Amino acid sequence: MDIFLQQLANGLTIGSMFALIALGYTMVYGVMKLINFAHGDLVAASAFVGLFIFTNLFGSGTSIFIAIAVFLLTAVVIAICGVFLERVAYRPLRTAPRLSAVVSALGASMVIQNGIMLLWGPQLKIFPDLIPQVYWDLGGVVISLIQVLIMAFSLILMIALYIFIEKTKMGTAIRASSIDQDAARLMGINVNNIIVTIFVIGTSLGAVGGLFIGLYYKGITFNMGWQYGLNAFIAAIIGGIGNIPGAMLGGMLLGLFNAFIAGYVSSTWADAFTFTLLIVILIFRPTGILGERVAEKV
Amino acid sequence: MIKKLQPIAYPLFFLAMMSMPAFLDPRWLAVATTFIIFTIVALSTDIVLGKGGMFNMGQALFFGLGAYTSAILNAKFGWPLLATLPAAILIPALFGVLLAGPIVHLRGDYLLVTLIGFNIVFIQVLQNNLGGLTGGPNGIFGLDVISLPGMTDSPQLGAFYTALIALLITLLVMFNLDKSKAGRALHYLREDELAASSIGINTRVYKIFAFALGAGIAGMAGTIYANQYSAVSPEAFDFVQSVLFFSIVIVGGSSVPGIFLGVFVMFVLPEIFREFATWRYFIFGFAMIFTMILRPRGIWPATFGKIPRRLIKEGNNGN
Repeated sequence: MDIFLQQLANGLTIGSMFALIALGYTMVYGVMKLINFAHGDLVAASAFVGLFIFTNLFGSGTSIFIAIAVFLLTAVVIAICGVFLERVAYRPLRTAPRLSAVVSALGASMVIQNGIMLLWGPQLKIFPDLIPQVYWDLGGVVISLIQVLIMAFSLILMIALYIFIEKTKMGTAIRASSIDQDAARLMGINVNNIIVTIFVIGTSLGAVGGLFIGLYYKGITFNMGWQYGLNAFIAAIIGGIGNIPGAMLGGMLLGLFNAFIAGYVSSTWADAFTFTLLIVILIFRPTGILGERVAEKV
Repeated sequence: MIKKLQPIAYPLFFLAMMSMPAFLDPRWLAVATTFIIFTIVALSTDIVLGKGGMFNMGQALFFGLGAYTSAILNAKFGWPLLATLPAAILIPALFGVLLAGPIVHLRGDYLLVTLIGFNIVFIQVLQNNLGGLTGGPNGIFGLDVISLPGMTDSPQLGAFYTALIALLITLLVMFNLDKSKAGRALHYLREDELAASSIGINTRVYKIFAFALGAGIAGMAGTIYANQYSAVSPEAFDFVQSVLFFSIVIVGGSSVPGIFLGVFVMFVLPEIFREFATWRYFIFGFAMIFTMILRPRGIWPATFGKIPRRLIKEGNNGN
């Protein structure tokens, strides 16, 4: 029972991070029908940018204000990168064959990944303790302050995003563009602005996810983007890509699944289990759990 | 114009390739051999990705399956490497059918991620040394080499010419595929799957066929690869390699000359710029983005079949 509760807590923590990153994938895919392969590398970049901002602007110390400042500054920097990425690598290819945009995304991923390596070096870096290391022992189950903050903060962000998408005018415009771009344009929606907005939101959420990864796992490397990015992308697909609550659900499911596999089976086969789950879900629900069943149009 | 040059260009190309060893030192001969092997794998990726239009980002799996089949049969069971070749073609082809069967109905991006998944699971199987056969993270080494008549004293030269023969076979398959019933079926299928199935093409069978053929050719390349290095190890077949093959096909434009150019640009150029080791992939990423922006259909876009010019409407060049 202890193992169960412990892995439940770990799974929810990992799942929150997956969900935050998966939202970036799913929002971009929803409107542009493009797998943004560079998203995972932007997530990795955010951990390094956060590290840089913390050591150069604040030096040391752990206060809640410093942590908030680091998160905000990193999110701004990464969002600017995201908008720049869209402008340079994706906008010129909007009418090109879909595979060209995929290769452009792969190229962008290579640029960011190697850019991180050139700036910060290929070796593993240790992320600073922005948040004090506090642990609570709840009868055999150990939970850290970082875990609680990750879960709480992710939940708040996801609820805020959900309200934004469902209740505001901008959110409605985003949903309209993801259903049919041309029709949305005819209704007077500026699709270019929508895409920029999506990149700003998606990459800032990814930046928060990247900083959480740094805080939780401590060690950050220049090529970790693919590892977390791929998991987050799988989470988005499991939930039904393009569907925002789907990404949240998929992230949580995948996080819990990973944690229970690590707890009860073994972690050497973790990826094999993850992909088996993905393949089984796709065989029975080809568009994910919450994905809409699209009828073939003639 | 270019179409007319092709009957002369290919023999010339092969003559040039055959005389290569005379000019290259051992290191560059090894690069040339690997260039040929990667070209074969890229061509096999093109059968699924370019001709069939299915987003194949897992080709390194079949490449590795062929290499490991040869290595295991050679190292553990003592078969001569050449004798393992049929197994190294058939087993990946069989896996192509088994793995593609349940997933070919998936739409583009879902298929892509599933194939990445298969590739990652494959690497994990190799690294965890399943059944004590795969040698774990170190792989299997100390394999025999295929000795061609007259080249028994120089294994490097032998590896080069073996690869060249395999490339010739692959190109023959590719050209015949274009003109065959299966090739036409795949072409229609890529253009419009629904229309293809409504004129009576069994899309599922042809999709699986494309996977099996691609996997078989990649498996053959795997044997040649095991022959060149007389060793196999998991990281050579990582999904990052699949991503590379995928990019080569799209950047090249999924035509045979385009794929040669693509492999040259993505594999040989990085070898030439080895001194700039830390910068080369950074610049490469930019090169990929700008190639796609300037030539969205690839450097050398493929054209299908030989449609008489009088049948083509103005402004539509047969694509």
